[in-house]
Amino acid sequence: MTPDGAGSFLWRSLLLAHRWRVWILCAAIFGVMGAVAPHFAEPGNFANIVKGAGTALPAAIGFTLVLLAGQLDLSVGSAMTMGGMLVMGLAPRLGWAGALAVAAAAGCAQGLANGLLVSKAKINSFIVTLGTMLIVYNAMAIYSHGGTIPAPKGDFTLSDWLQGPVVGPVFAPRPGQSGWAGAWLTLWLTPRNFVAIALLAAAWVVLRLTPVGRGFYLLGGNRQTAWYSGLSVDGYIIGAFVISAGVSAFGGAMVAMSEAAGSLEVGDRSLMTIVAAVIIGGTSMEGGKGSVVGSAVALVALTALTNGLDCLGAGYEVNLMSSGLVLALVILYDAIWLHVRRRKLGQRKDLLAELTRSIS
Amino acid sequence: MTEPPMIHTVPPPPPPDGRMPASNRFVGVLNVLGVYILVAALFAIGPLVSPAKFLTELNLLSALQSVALMGIVAMGVAFITYSRHYVDLSIPGIMAISGVVAVWALKFGFAASMLAGLAAGAAVGVVNGLVVGYLRLNPIIWTLAVASVLSGLIRWVYSGQQLYPDERTSAGWEFLNLYNCQILGKPLLPAIVLVVAAVAAHLLMHHTAYGASLKLTGSNYEAARLSGIPVRRVVGLTFVISSVTSAAAGILLTSFNKVGAEYVGKGYDFMAVTAVVLGGMTLAGGRGNVIGVLGGVIAIALMTNVMSLMRIPPLHIGPWAFGEITIGTFWQNIIQGAIFILVVGINSLSLRKAGRDDS
Repeated sequence: MTPDGAGSFLWRSLLLAHRWRVWILCAAIFGVMGAVAPHFAEPGNFANIVKGAGTALPAAIGFTLVLLAGQLDLSVGSAMTMGGMLVMGLAPRLGWAGALAVAAAAGCAQGLANGLLVSKAKINSFIVTLGTMLIVYNAMAIYSHGGTIPAPKGDFTLSDWLQGPVVGPVFAPRPGQSGWAGAWLTLWLTPRNFVAIALLAAAWVVLRLTPVGRGFYLLGGNRQTAWYSGLSVDGYIIGAFVISAGVSAFGGAMVAMSEAAGSLEVGDRSLMTIVAAVIIGGTSMEGGKGSVVGSAVALVALTALTNGLDCLGAGYEVNLMSSGLVLALVILYDAIWLHVRRRKLGQRKDLLAELTRSIS
Repeated sequence: MTEPPMIHTVPPPPPPDGRMPASNRFVGVLNVLGVYILVAALFAIGPLVSPAKFLTELNLLSALQSVALMGIVAMGVAFITYSRHYVDLSIPGIMAISGVVAVWALKFGFAASMLAGLAAGAAVGVVNGLVVGYLRLNPIIWTLAVASVLSGLIRWVYSGQQLYPDERTSAGWEFLNLYNCQILGKPLLPAIVLVVAAVAAHLLMHHTAYGASLKLTGSNYEAARLSGIPVRRVVGLTFVISSVTSAAAGILLTSFNKVGAEYVGKGYDFMAVTAVVLGGMTLAGGRGNVIGVLGGVIAIALMTNVMSLMRIPPLHIGPWAFGEITIGTFWQNIIQGAIFILVVGINSLSLRKAGRDDS
């Protein structure tokens, strides 16, 4: 019997609540906002939240993966910017598919550089990714002459398709039909959201169900043990950085394509949210603990929070403050939880019982 | 019963520790001089790049002034890095709030304004120190959250407006002239504050009991705790020290900008940690010194200065013709980023060669 399983009903329910804390936080935000914010609980607004969360989701998945492997990647934001800029800049020459492929490949190249510097040159990942963030961001500023790159010929066709309903005219709601079913079809199941959700599902399957995915947890949990058990530590670290920057660049390209413009601010603005969401989602800075689903749920929760505050008429400043406060409260809670749990484990009632039984 | 005769010869004792002797002379030289090699190289390149301008008093003074504020911040950040807590990401928020509070307090007089600004910054530092030092929260995440809260708070209180000092009052006029006030006929105040901060930081870090406990705490937290050092207080204090230097820099920067606003100080956290790490202080903690950090600050100043003076004359290579090339801000940042990674890489390589890599 594990110490966790023992204890009162209260302790067991606390454990259960702790396990699902991100979901509870998300539900609480939706509940409170739905109750107090006007126009929050409407299908169109929910679609906005899904769309907003999807913007940073690929980069958040990448950031989670690198954190799981016990490293830090500050350059996910600049990879997003690079993806968006390259896909817009190259589309006239290469077409959308070619430009998207080059953008993702450029992201992978950035990740490869990060990974090689961290694993082979053994430089701290905080330093390396801080440096590449600076280099890539400024390179993109030169590429775009310090401004934004619009879609070729101001063409919004692709942008409309990415944000339109995926199922086509067959299931399209009739005019005047504005219920939840219609909203699902027209607003939520867009190609843009599909891609984000598919990425999330793929990351979840790989991390949970494949030996390669479990390797990332092993590596982050204890690098030495991972090496002893024959894991290619350098390979995993390089892989984590390549995937992280690659999916971030891909995500940035998707954002740029659906907004029909590549902008310098995308990555800069997203980095703060991404870090906050991944940490709130329960991924540990020490590595080896966390999940991409947690990050995604936390991202939705944070987006819902800012969206609800917008509905209440609060400005950007209250948004900034409240997401900072939520992050601060969550990590304070984690520290208190750790303390309580250690004390609880220190009592070891079950161990005591076993000892007395063996003596008597 | 007699002892059996010893038939095995005793093997030679292993060296006292497993470290390789620092036999590589190149690496040894690198370790001692560190970033000052880069500084010397830049001094050598400078006159080649611009014979007329580089070695003039005006140019070197402006190079120094451009990094004085970042240097002041770096002196405080050095303590956090030394204690193995990376960096305080709430520095931009601390700089902004101390500037805003100083401008607000101008109605109580100039001295009160300075004190209020420093106190506001220090208050944030105390909170950070309590939470990171005593509750042991991750410094990067906690200070990131604080930065976000501070930035929102300042915008919210002043509803997005900027705060201008009133130059009709004497205190306001003094505040506006603080950054450019004439000492020995030159606007030297930021540079003097930097030198004072550097000397104070050097004495505190290398010549006091606190500095010694900090070194042990940064090198090995658990060993320091077990040997009775009040590790929580030692770590907490580093955040207070850093917040005071950031507040001083924030007040000066607000005086330079002539406006108190939320965006004052943006980017100073990363710039300062760049200088600290460039100066040979590793993120693994307990290694490096203030003189090195000062070298890092000077290196960044000279690097920016040399690059902005650089003019590559028009070239004709075969069929290609290049116009005059100058290095713009974006390129300067790219080169700085590359040099940053390179220098830290060489530093960690030399530590590894000497068998002293503990990161």
